[in-house]
Amino acid sequence: MNIPNKARIGGLAALAFFALVPLVTQSDYFIGVLTVCFIYGIWATSWDFMSGLTGRENFGHALFIGAGAYTAAFLGSRFNVNPWWGLPTGAFAAVVCGVIVGVPTLRLKGPYFALATFAAAAIAQRSTRIFWEYTGGEEGIPGLSPLIGSHLAYYYFCLGALVVTTIVLLVLARSSWGILLRAIRGDEAACQAAGINIAFYKIVSLVISAAFAGVGGVLYADYQLAVTPDVFSVVLSITIMIMVYVGGMGTIYGPVGGAILLALLPEMLRAFGEYRLWVYSLVLIFILFFAPGGLIAPICRRIVGVRR
Amino acid sequence: MTALLAVEHLSKHFGGLTAAKDVSFELQPGEITGILGPNGAGKTTLFNLLTGFISADGGVVEFEGHSLVGLGPHRIVNLGLARTFQLCRPFLGMTVLENVTVACLAPRVREERGTELRARRILDQVGLSAKTEILVDVLPYGDLRRLEIARALATKPKLLLLDEPFAGLGVGEIEPLLALIRKLHAEEGLTILIIEHKLRELMQLVTRVIAMDFGEIIAVGAPREIVRDPRVVEAYIGHSESVHGVA
Amino acid sequence: MHTLLNILVYGAVTSAIYAMLAVGFTLIFGVARVLNLAHGAFYGLGAYAAYVLTIDLHWPIFPAAVAAVLFVGAFGVVMERVLVRPLRHSALAVLMITLAVSLLFEQAMFILFGSQSRNVPSFVSYTLTYAGLDISGQRLLTLAVGIVVLIVLYAIIDGTRLGSAILAISQDREAAQYMGIPINRMYSVVMGLSAAVAAVAGVLTAPFLTVQPTMGLLPMIKAFSIVIVGGLGSIPGSILAALLLGYSETIVAYSPWPAATEIVSLLAVLLTLILRPAGLLGKRAAF
Repeated sequence: MNIPNKARIGGLAALAFFALVPLVTQSDYFIGVLTVCFIYGIWATSWDFMSGLTGRENFGHALFIGAGAYTAAFLGSRFNVNPWWGLPTGAFAAVVCGVIVGVPTLRLKGPYFALATFAAAAIAQRSTRIFWEYTGGEEGIPGLSPLIGSHLAYYYFCLGALVVTTIVLLVLARSSWGILLRAIRGDEAACQAAGINIAFYKIVSLVISAAFAGVGGVLYADYQLAVTPDVFSVVLSITIMIMVYVGGMGTIYGPVGGAILLALLPEMLRAFGEYRLWVYSLVLIFILFFAPGGLIAPICRRIVGVRR
Repeated sequence: MTALLAVEHLSKHFGGLTAAKDVSFELQPGEITGILGPNGAGKTTLFNLLTGFISADGGVVEFEGHSLVGLGPHRIVNLGLARTFQLCRPFLGMTVLENVTVACLAPRVREERGTELRARRILDQVGLSAKTEILVDVLPYGDLRRLEIARALATKPKLLLLDEPFAGLGVGEIEPLLALIRKLHAEEGLTILIIEHKLRELMQLVTRVIAMDFGEIIAVGAPREIVRDPRVVEAYIGHSESVHGVA
Repeated sequence: MHTLLNILVYGAVTSAIYAMLAVGFTLIFGVARVLNLAHGAFYGLGAYAAYVLTIDLHWPIFPAAVAAVLFVGAFGVVMERVLVRPLRHSALAVLMITLAVSLLFEQAMFILFGSQSRNVPSFVSYTLTYAGLDISGQRLLTLAVGIVVLIVLYAIIDGTRLGSAILAISQDREAAQYMGIPINRMYSVVMGLSAAVAAVAGVLTAPFLTVQPTMGLLPMIKAFSIVIVGGLGSIPGSILAALLLGYSETIVAYSPWPAATEIVSLLAVLLTLILRPAGLLGKRAAF
């Protein structure tokens, strides 16, 4: 894999930075905030792998997140299963959702796929209210037992999960998978004329995206020690998309930076009190106008000196 | 000799419009056959039907004994039938090399290793080896055409369908492309079916011509006869004097 | 019988509201290919504007309503000109900027008015009693105005030069440009129109639906759904879908499973996209 040396060093430096943060700050709160940032990073990079590369924007990424979260919560609270089982089963539940949603909708063109995925996640969210006996309705499912007791250890665990996710997806994106997905973005008919089974690649990449998002969902549930219907919300889906956009669509590593930045932003804006979200929205608008190719990835490329 | 491609009674309607009506013909291995016809005659529709981009209403299409009816485009390509598009369709945002690599990843031709080598070899064959790292977004049209052909070639087709390969080319680009097609035909032993309006170029390539109009085949024969055939002339021009200066 | 009448009337009212929301949304999409996530904000802004004018500034109700609609229309024009137009090269960017606008709106309302619901007085305070049914005059007014608005819109599109321009642009933007139609100005005008119609819905329903900062989200999702089912870019499609969904929801609301009301529109969307992506009256399934 041809990653420039500067980029390798940069990646390791970022990793070292976050590994050392807990040694510098004693604030449990801040460690918690960063842990959530890492989980957002997993969600963002998993979205980018499918939607960033193929250009088919999935507006319902929260469906996979919620599937993972609720499955883990359900197992933990109903069946008192060891929370570690939540990881593979949550991922599996997300994968199933990916197949159910992907197969009928990935052949749809343009905005229709976006709208269908949006509808799927919204239906899931509404369903938590309808099937409240199983899902706890509005309240969700509280009182989950944690994967790892120590907040610090969980911090490193999530950081590790983020690193593994990013590396796996980066390797895939740089391999022939990436070429095929980008070709699908370029021209689906030409891809078929080149002998490629685009339906297969679209669905599998959605499934891979879903699996990682589901794992992120499980991690989130185990962090909050509860799940609520918000985990399916359209706000979450769109927040993730914005993180990817700011990070740089299709780069896989950019969205990680975008996620951490935008997840930290509300914290950094605390000084603005009531006006916090207003400033947040304004920052967003600012970025949209002045950084159309994203913020993180172009800066990284500039530093490393790569053309594309 | 068993035909490479056998088409019988192929038909397709779009609402009230008959795009293909009772089309039947055969292609023998190694032939270069041309398809002629005015705009709207159904030529590209025929290609779309043969390659699975449109589903036929009726008829039989057999390629090396396999029935192609109902198969999706990528399956047909993997059986050995490749096509180019009338308007070049490159994968934008990717390099020339990456564009051909995509086709090298088709199941029919995919290898464990050596994909890049193969892709480079094919680009060499079509004369694009100097431009492998260039983004296709900035390629001139003549090079895009070569890229189209390279992509089709990468799938190791037995039958190659070329849709107006000379369209949109400048004077200096036509001869080289002509030479390329001839070279590929000789080197790869391809059977070629080519739609083309530019009669002079077409006549230099093909041994047989199929003339179409309004979705039907109106004449089949050697190039010189076809251009004098009154039905063909009438389809193009509207009266039955032969076309001068072409044959 | 009683239930049937209830369904008939309330279904009609709901359909009228939905139609007003959907038509504006589909209009701006059909013309400018913009999925305007701020559409809900137009709706909410109309309601809040009516509130401010009547309660804070003590305007009489009808001038306040008209002023509110005009204000939101102008807001739509400005938003298009300042925020959307520079980003039109990227559909995703437009999506996000309109989303940012809706977030800004929500936050602004929180800051200015707090999170409690506000009350806007009804325009008409009488209640119609018929066959044992009590229907608020406000709801009937909504239905009536809704129908009028749709007729006016139809008249504009079918009968005026503006309407022809709108149709031309939605069919073929470049050709329209070559014909000398000033598309940039048209985009602003259509956005303003779309905003105004959404505001009409907001103003009319304010008295009987809650006026609070997040009021725009659900109507947005509804408008989305209706427009997809009816066909993106087709006004008759939106009206038809509005009727279908309005009545389906009302029927479900009166059924033994009222909690499923919210899912009706979403299921309709999924089904439409899977079975007939172009929607009921949409022309193409791709762009």
